[in-house]
Amino acid sequence: MTWFLRRIGVSVILIWIVASIVFLAIRMVPGDPAEILLSQGGIAPDPSLVAEIHSQLGLDKPLPVQYADRFVGLFRGDLGESLTDGTPVASEIMRRLPRTLELIAVSALLALIFGIPAGLIAANHPGGWLDRLSGWMSALGLSVPIFVVGTLLVLVFSQTLGLVPAGGYVPLWPDPARHFMLLAMPALTIALGLFPIIFRMTRASVLEVLQRDFVRTATAKGLSHGAIMSRHVLRNALMPVVTVLGLQLGTLLGGTVLVEYVFNFPGLSGLMVDAVNARDYPFVEGVVLVIAILFVLINLGVDLIYGVLDPRVRRS
Amino acid sequence: MQLTRRSLIAAGIALPCLGTTRGFAAGKETLTFGLSAYPGAFSVWGQVGTAATTVKLMTHRGLLSFDHKGEIQPEIAESFARAGDAGWTFKLRDAVFHDGRPVTSADVKWSFEQIGQDNSTAYYRAVMQGVQAIETPDARTVTIVMKEPLSTLPLILAMPHMMIVPKNTVFERSTLPMGAGPYKLVRQERGVALDFERFDKFYKPGLPKMAKLRMVAYADETLRVSALKSGDVDLIEYVPWQAMAEIEADKKFKLETTLGPFMYLTFNGQSGPFADKRVRQAVAYGVKRDDIVKSAFFGRGGLLEGMPLAKESPFYDPATANHFAFDPAKAKALLAEAGHPNGFACKLLSNAQYGMHRSTAEVVQQSLAAIGIQAELNLPDYATYTTLGNRGQYDMAVVGNTADYNDPDGLASLIDGTLPVSFVRSFKLDVPEIHALLAEGRRTFEPEARKAVYKKLETAFLDQVPLAPLAWREQGYAMKTAVDGFVNLPSQLTFFSGMTLETTAIA
Repeated sequence: MTWFLRRIGVSVILIWIVASIVFLAIRMVPGDPAEILLSQGGIAPDPSLVAEIHSQLGLDKPLPVQYADRFVGLFRGDLGESLTDGTPVASEIMRRLPRTLELIAVSALLALIFGIPAGLIAANHPGGWLDRLSGWMSALGLSVPIFVVGTLLVLVFSQTLGLVPAGGYVPLWPDPARHFMLLAMPALTIALGLFPIIFRMTRASVLEVLQRDFVRTATAKGLSHGAIMSRHVLRNALMPVVTVLGLQLGTLLGGTVLVEYVFNFPGLSGLMVDAVNARDYPFVEGVVLVIAILFVLINLGVDLIYGVLDPRVRRS
Repeated sequence: MQLTRRSLIAAGIALPCLGTTRGFAAGKETLTFGLSAYPGAFSVWGQVGTAATTVKLMTHRGLLSFDHKGEIQPEIAESFARAGDAGWTFKLRDAVFHDGRPVTSADVKWSFEQIGQDNSTAYYRAVMQGVQAIETPDARTVTIVMKEPLSTLPLILAMPHMMIVPKNTVFERSTLPMGAGPYKLVRQERGVALDFERFDKFYKPGLPKMAKLRMVAYADETLRVSALKSGDVDLIEYVPWQAMAEIEADKKFKLETTLGPFMYLTFNGQSGPFADKRVRQAVAYGVKRDDIVKSAFFGRGGLLEGMPLAKESPFYDPATANHFAFDPAKAKALLAEAGHPNGFACKLLSNAQYGMHRSTAEVVQQSLAAIGIQAELNLPDYATYTTLGNRGQYDMAVVGNTADYNDPDGLASLIDGTLPVSFVRSFKLDVPEIHALLAEGRRTFEPEARKAVYKKLETAFLDQVPLAPLAWREQGYAMKTAVDGFVNLPSQLTFFSGMTLETTAIA
């Protein structure tokens, strides 16, 4: 319990530090939200109008006052409003976050469904045709940039074959079929990048576990190969895979930018990019804060899964 | 998000039964339009980008507008005429707002008074602050009396930034207020799409032609083209130049382009070598514009070697249109005359966010190096670029823009250095003669007299080079061949082409 509370305390401090850094960093980069708002379309921003907007948005206050206002608001659970159109930040994040989470979850599922069995088979038959094929695919997945994969998928499956829409988003209800058709290509694109990591880690880990004494003992005791793999090898080999997956999921929360851009998928990453471009401070801070919190939660989740996979972790 | 195992299974079963994506294309009662961006902000009187203007043109109308040929046409005002030296009288037609209330002279007066408020962020605030009085003798008549005669007032009132809203409208920044336009906004999802339905009481009989209109934002230009090709949308704006030839060659689509927007260089006139007009002239002679058209616009543009006036303009003069034709020898001579026989080093601001800005800057850099000007590129993101431009933190800067309207007065915001500082015009480069001639042009009504004034303005422009013209660029809309009635408005009005969606239908 003490360990858990300490973890929570450290996490809260970490999140506060992240939020403070983002607060300062976004204000240090050049680019004034009011000027950008008034300059869209290449028009001339009148300085008096810029000043008027500064006053309306509270941007004319000293930085420490803005900082205090911001954190008092956060403490009350108020993430603020968009500087550009007044949309409440919290409601917009809550609308976008599930989409990105769904995208990441489906991608991770695809990568796991193909990555773990491929890694297992490759480790059991090193040098075999499946090992080589998976190796090539993994090298390809790691080396081809994500936007190239995405653009190719659009070219082939949308423009040429007309099987799926080029991009966009519709809610799950009332149109689940179109929802998943729109989800398919971005999820596949991310999964293709995630697959090599899962595959390689599984393969290396299984190969390493197969050399362990307890595997030799189990074999000597006459256990079937399937039983050894499922009961002993896989359980031990999955630890590093879970670690890597956890880290990757955290990274993907803010790292699906290109995929969301290429497929016009209105998730959290795209929201952050738009907010940075518009210097929409509350949105940038809100999105980073949510990502930081989720990152911490994912790490806690990974620790818990460790406990399930390896009882020694629970005891320690 | 209600993602359940059952829904997943149901969707999985449904998928094969539904065939291709083309089966999902909206029916003929709906036109789907691919926007170049989701509007960053909704401002009925502001200028917040092309996408926002296109959206605004669905729900709102002003007193006047532009027809398919770019001529002024009546809109909420069925007729208008001059009233004295500085006034205009407008007779309103039987128009109603989306809630059924009639559009009255009181709504017009209130709208224009709001635009002119001191704390207004309207694009034409300054113009409305030049109003002496707005008279409303009856519900159908409005007379606007300016403090000084303003021959371009009808042009300004035809712009999509002078919309009429109901008196005492309360504004919310996240959506558009109610208007009297052809479509009603029925749904919007921030960052994704906007849905409109035909306004049955629109004052033009038989319009709009489509019952429903859906606008979907595709910020990525490649995806926008893919959406058109895969049948997701019927019509797209801001066709990327590299895709124009391919679309043109495909019989399933048609492309409508116009030479309207243009690229130019602004100068820091406050200090440094560009305060000298001879150096600015040298730059204008020294840039190889053909390379800009080829590299930045894939050949889809034209050389701009004089004052940026369209060929269709009555003020266009072919004799001076090629005044700044590429002439490196003349450029070097001018530099030597200005005291820079060996050239100099300077900073050239552009941005990395838009390829056409970056490519233009690269060509300018190479051209100027050949005449001795070593320009160091500064290519930040667009937000930083605008801030640096507005603060004058550059020697030269690449800008892509267009005149407000197809009249020399529409160039005022780009060449009148007495206006407040802005990245769209040279920094603190005040040329009193240009300011005076622009003002004289506005006071002059007789067409031949206006031509004479604007000829003098052109002479001053070519002598003082308040901006160095570089290249016209084609601005395009692409659509399925079945789409009929959409028109890319000519030249510098191209960004207001959303106006013609009221006459657009799918055959």
